Amino acid sequence: MGTAFARFLGFAALWVVLVRGVAPADLAVGVLAAAVATWASLRLLPAEAGRVNLGALALRLPRFLWQSVVAGVDVARRALAPGVPLRLGFVGYRTGFARGAARNAFATITSLMPGTVPVDDTEAEISYHCLDVGQPVAAQLAAEEREYADALAPGKRLG
Amino acid sequence: MSLADLFTVVAVSAGAFFFLAGSVGLLRFPDALARLHALTKADNLGLGLVVLGLLPRVDGLLGALKLVAIWALVLLASGAVSQLVARVARRTGPRA
Repeated sequence: MGTAFARFLGFAALWVVLVRGVAPADLAVGVLAAAVATWASLRLLPAEAGRVNLGALALRLPRFLWQSVVAGVDVARRALAPGVPLRLGFVGYRTGFARGAARNAFATITSLMPGTVPVDDTEAEISYHCLDVGQPVAAQLAAEEREYADALAPGKRLG
Repeated sequence: MSLADLFTVVAVSAGAFFFLAGSVGLLRFPDALARLHALTKADNLGLGLVVLGLLPRVDGLLGALKLVAIWALVLLASGAVSQLVARVARRTGPRA
Protein backbone atom coordinates (compact mmCIF):
# COMPACT_ATOMS: atom_id res chain seq x y z
CA MET A 1 0.00 0.00 0.00
CA GLY A 2 2.91 2.33 0.78
CA THR A 3 4.31 1.94 -2.71
CA ALA A 4 0.96 2.53 -4.39
CA PHE A 5 0.26 5.65 -2.34
CA ALA A 6 3.73 7.08 -2.91
CA ARG A 7 3.39 6.52 -6.66
CA PHE A 8 -0.10 8.04 -6.65
CA LEU A 9 1.25 11.16 -4.93
CA GLY A 10 4.08 11.34 -7.45
CA PHE A 11 1.75 11.10 -10.44
CA ALA A 12 -0.66 13.61 -8.89
CA ALA A 13 2.21 16.06 -8.32
CA LEU A 14 3.33 15.60 -11.93
CA TRP A 15 -0.23 16.33 -13.05
CA VAL A 16 -0.36 19.57 -11.06
CA VAL A 17 2.94 20.64 -12.61
CA LEU A 18 1.86 19.76 -16.16
CA VAL A 19 -1.56 21.47 -16.05
CA ARG A 20 -0.06 24.32 -13.99
CA GLY A 21 -2.78 24.65 -11.44
CA VAL A 22 -5.04 23.21 -8.81
CA ALA A 23 -8.48 24.30 -10.13
CA PRO A 24 -11.16 21.85 -8.91
CA ALA A 25 -12.04 20.59 -12.41
CA ASP A 26 -8.37 20.01 -13.23
CA LEU A 27 -7.84 18.22 -9.93
CA ALA A 28 -10.82 15.91 -10.49
CA VAL A 29 -9.38 14.73 -13.80
CA GLY A 30 -5.91 14.66 -12.24
CA VAL A 31 -6.94 12.34 -9.42
CA LEU A 32 -8.47 10.00 -11.98
CA ALA A 33 -5.39 10.17 -14.23
CA ALA A 34 -3.04 9.60 -11.29
CA ALA A 35 -5.11 6.60 -10.16
CA VAL A 36 -4.98 5.02 -13.63
CA ALA A 37 -1.25 5.77 -13.89
CA THR A 38 -0.65 4.18 -10.49
CA TRP A 39 -2.60 1.08 -11.51
CA ALA A 40 -0.63 0.78 -14.75
CA SER A 41 2.71 1.34 -13.01
CA LEU A 42 1.97 -1.36 -10.42
CA ARG A 43 1.04 -3.77 -13.20
CA LEU A 44 4.11 -2.97 -15.30
CA LEU A 45 6.62 -2.41 -12.51
CA PRO A 46 5.59 -4.22 -9.32
CA ALA A 47 7.18 -3.03 -6.09
CA GLU A 48 9.07 -6.36 -5.81
CA ALA A 49 10.94 -5.64 -9.07
CA GLY A 50 13.42 -3.56 -7.11
CA ARG A 51 13.66 -0.12 -5.65
CA VAL A 52 15.04 3.01 -7.12
CA ASN A 53 15.95 5.42 -4.36
CA LEU A 54 14.92 8.76 -5.86
CA GLY A 55 16.62 10.77 -3.11
CA ALA A 56 19.95 9.03 -3.63
CA LEU A 57 19.47 9.32 -7.39
CA ALA A 58 18.89 13.07 -7.07
CA LEU A 59 22.31 13.40 -5.41
CA ARG A 60 23.82 12.03 -8.63
CA LEU A 61 22.06 14.69 -10.70
CA PRO A 62 25.10 16.97 -11.19
CA ARG A 63 27.17 14.00 -12.33
CA PHE A 64 24.39 12.83 -14.63
CA LEU A 65 23.95 16.31 -16.15
CA TRP A 66 27.68 16.62 -16.73
CA GLN A 67 27.73 13.19 -18.43
CA SER A 68 24.87 14.35 -20.65
CA VAL A 69 26.89 17.38 -21.71
CA VAL A 70 29.97 15.24 -22.42
CA ALA A 71 27.83 12.74 -24.36
CA GLY A 72 26.16 15.44 -26.45
CA VAL A 73 29.45 17.19 -27.23
CA ASP A 74 31.10 13.87 -28.06
CA VAL A 75 28.41 12.80 -30.50
CA ALA A 76 28.19 16.29 -32.05
CA ARG A 77 31.96 16.25 -32.62
CA ARG A 78 31.79 12.85 -34.28
CA ALA A 79 28.88 13.95 -36.46
CA LEU A 80 30.27 17.31 -37.53
CA ALA A 81 34.05 16.90 -37.63
CA PRO A 82 35.03 14.73 -40.58
CA GLY A 83 38.37 13.78 -39.03
CA VAL A 84 36.95 12.13 -35.93
CA PRO A 85 36.58 8.43 -36.66
CA LEU A 86 33.88 6.08 -35.47
CA ARG A 87 35.03 2.71 -34.20
CA LEU A 88 31.70 0.99 -33.82
CA GLY A 89 31.39 -2.26 -31.96
CA PHE A 90 29.83 -4.18 -29.11
CA VAL A 91 31.17 -4.46 -25.58
CA GLY A 92 29.80 -6.95 -23.07
CA TYR A 93 29.72 -5.61 -19.53
CA ARG A 94 29.31 -7.90 -16.50
CA THR A 95 27.05 -6.11 -14.08
CA GLY A 96 26.18 -6.75 -10.45
CA PHE A 97 22.64 -5.47 -10.95
CA ALA A 98 20.20 -8.35 -11.22
CA ARG A 99 17.52 -8.09 -13.88
CA GLY A 100 14.67 -5.88 -12.75
CA ALA A 101 14.09 -2.24 -11.95
CA ALA A 102 17.64 -1.59 -10.75
CA ARG A 103 19.24 -2.94 -13.91
CA ASN A 104 16.72 -1.18 -16.12
CA ALA A 105 17.41 2.11 -14.37
CA PHE A 106 21.16 1.55 -14.73
CA ALA A 107 20.77 0.69 -18.42
CA THR A 108 18.70 3.80 -19.02
CA ILE A 109 21.21 6.03 -17.21
CA THR A 110 24.09 4.54 -19.17
CA SER A 111 22.17 4.88 -22.44
CA LEU A 112 22.57 8.64 -21.95
CA MET A 113 26.29 8.40 -21.22
CA PRO A 114 28.93 9.20 -23.84
CA GLY A 115 29.25 6.57 -26.54
CA THR A 116 27.17 3.72 -25.12
CA VAL A 117 23.69 2.38 -25.84
CA PRO A 118 22.56 -0.89 -24.21
CA VAL A 119 21.37 -3.30 -26.89
CA ASP A 120 20.80 -6.58 -25.10
CA ASP A 121 21.21 -8.32 -21.79
CA THR A 122 21.67 -11.78 -20.37
CA GLU A 123 21.60 -12.99 -16.79
CA ALA A 124 25.04 -11.57 -15.98
CA GLU A 125 25.85 -9.16 -18.78
CA ILE A 126 24.57 -6.05 -20.49
CA SER A 127 25.69 -5.74 -24.09
CA TYR A 128 26.49 -2.19 -25.20
CA HIS A 129 26.81 -0.74 -28.65
CA CYS A 130 29.72 1.72 -28.62
CA LEU A 131 30.67 4.58 -30.91
CA ASP A 132 34.34 4.07 -30.10
CA VAL A 133 35.47 0.70 -28.82
CA GLY A 134 38.94 2.21 -28.31
CA GLN A 135 37.59 3.98 -25.21
CA PRO A 136 37.86 2.18 -21.85
CA VAL A 137 34.14 1.45 -21.96
CA ALA A 138 34.01 -1.33 -19.37
CA ALA A 139 36.02 0.70 -16.86
CA GLN A 140 33.71 3.69 -17.32
CA LEU A 141 30.64 1.51 -16.85
CA ALA A 142 32.16 -0.03 -13.72
CA ALA A 143 32.73 3.46 -12.34
CA GLU A 144 29.09 4.32 -13.05
CA GLU A 145 27.92 1.13 -11.38
CA ARG A 146 29.88 1.96 -8.21
CA GLU A 147 28.48 5.48 -8.32
CA TYR A 148 24.86 4.33 -8.50
CA ALA A 149 25.12 1.16 -6.40
CA ASP A 150 23.35 2.52 -3.33
CA ALA A 151 20.67 4.37 -5.31
CA LEU A 152 19.47 1.27 -7.17
CA ALA A 153 18.50 -1.65 -4.97
CA PRO A 154 17.93 -4.88 -6.88
CA GLY A 155 14.69 -6.67 -6.16
CA LYS A 156 13.43 -10.21 -6.45
CA ARG A 157 13.82 -11.70 -9.88
CA LEU A 158 10.62 -11.60 -11.86
CA GLY A 159 10.02 -14.20 -14.58
CA MET B 1 18.97 43.51 -24.28
CA SER B 2 19.06 42.45 -20.65
CA LEU B 3 21.37 39.84 -19.23
CA ALA B 4 18.45 37.39 -18.99
CA ASP B 5 17.66 37.92 -22.68
CA LEU B 6 21.27 37.32 -23.59
CA PHE B 7 21.32 34.14 -21.52
CA THR B 8 18.17 32.92 -23.30
CA VAL B 9 19.57 33.66 -26.75
CA VAL B 10 22.87 31.93 -26.03
CA ALA B 11 21.37 28.84 -24.36
CA VAL B 12 18.58 28.31 -26.92
CA SER B 13 21.03 28.81 -29.80
CA ALA B 14 23.38 26.27 -28.26
CA GLY B 15 20.41 23.91 -27.91
CA ALA B 16 19.52 24.38 -31.57
CA PHE B 17 23.15 23.66 -32.48
CA PHE B 18 23.00 20.26 -30.76
CA PHE B 19 19.70 19.42 -32.48
CA LEU B 20 21.44 20.25 -35.76
CA ALA B 21 24.44 18.11 -34.83
CA GLY B 22 22.14 15.22 -33.91
CA SER B 23 20.39 15.49 -37.26
CA VAL B 24 23.71 15.58 -39.11
CA GLY B 25 24.70 12.45 -37.20
CA LEU B 26 21.42 10.83 -38.18
CA LEU B 27 22.30 11.42 -41.82
CA ARG B 28 26.03 10.71 -41.67
CA PHE B 29 26.36 7.77 -39.29
CA PRO B 30 26.52 4.43 -41.07
CA ASP B 31 23.83 2.29 -39.39
CA ALA B 32 20.76 2.32 -37.19
CA LEU B 33 22.64 1.69 -33.95
CA ALA B 34 25.11 4.52 -34.51
CA ARG B 35 22.28 6.84 -35.47
CA LEU B 36 20.59 6.13 -32.14
CA HIS B 37 23.61 7.61 -30.35
CA ALA B 38 23.32 10.78 -32.39
CA LEU B 39 19.62 11.25 -31.81
CA THR B 40 19.37 10.41 -28.12
CA LYS B 41 22.48 12.14 -26.84
CA ALA B 42 22.63 15.25 -28.96
CA ASP B 43 18.89 15.90 -28.74
CA ASN B 44 18.76 15.41 -24.98
CA LEU B 45 21.48 17.98 -24.52
CA GLY B 46 19.83 20.26 -27.09
CA LEU B 47 16.48 20.11 -25.34
CA GLY B 48 18.15 20.60 -21.95
CA LEU B 49 19.81 23.78 -23.19
CA VAL B 50 16.56 25.07 -24.73
CA VAL B 51 14.77 24.45 -21.40
CA LEU B 52 17.62 26.10 -19.49
CA GLY B 53 17.41 29.13 -21.77
CA LEU B 54 13.64 29.45 -21.35
CA LEU B 55 13.67 29.13 -17.55
CA PRO B 56 14.30 32.85 -16.87
CA ARG B 57 11.31 33.73 -19.08
CA VAL B 58 8.60 31.72 -17.34
CA ASP B 59 6.44 33.25 -14.64
CA GLY B 60 6.18 31.29 -11.46
CA LEU B 61 7.59 28.12 -10.03
CA LEU B 62 5.00 25.84 -11.66
CA GLY B 63 5.94 27.07 -15.12
CA ALA B 64 9.60 26.37 -14.46
CA LEU B 65 8.82 22.95 -13.02
CA LYS B 66 6.72 22.16 -16.06
CA LEU B 67 9.61 22.90 -18.43
CA VAL B 68 11.96 20.75 -16.36
CA ALA B 69 9.33 17.98 -16.18
CA ILE B 70 9.01 17.99 -19.96
CA TRP B 71 12.76 17.62 -20.30
CA ALA B 72 12.81 14.81 -17.73
CA LEU B 73 9.97 12.97 -19.51
CA VAL B 74 11.77 13.24 -22.85
CA LEU B 75 15.00 11.98 -21.24
CA LEU B 76 13.19 9.03 -19.72
CA ALA B 77 11.38 8.23 -22.96
CA SER B 78 14.45 8.48 -25.19
CA GLY B 79 16.59 6.54 -22.71
CA ALA B 80 14.04 3.73 -22.63
CA VAL B 81 12.98 3.74 -26.28
CA SER B 82 16.54 3.90 -27.64
CA GLN B 83 17.26 0.57 -25.91
CA LEU B 84 14.16 -1.02 -27.45
CA VAL B 85 15.00 0.26 -30.92
CA ALA B 86 18.60 -0.93 -30.41
CA ARG B 87 17.44 -4.44 -29.52
CA VAL B 88 15.31 -4.67 -32.64
CA ALA B 89 18.05 -3.19 -34.82
CA ARG B 90 20.59 -5.68 -33.52
CA ARG B 91 18.35 -8.69 -33.96
CA THR B 92 17.20 -7.85 -37.45
CA GLY B 93 20.75 -7.32 -38.70
CA PRO B 94 22.84 -4.37 -39.79
CA ARG B 95 20.52 -2.73 -42.24
CA ALA B 96 20.88 1.02 -42.47
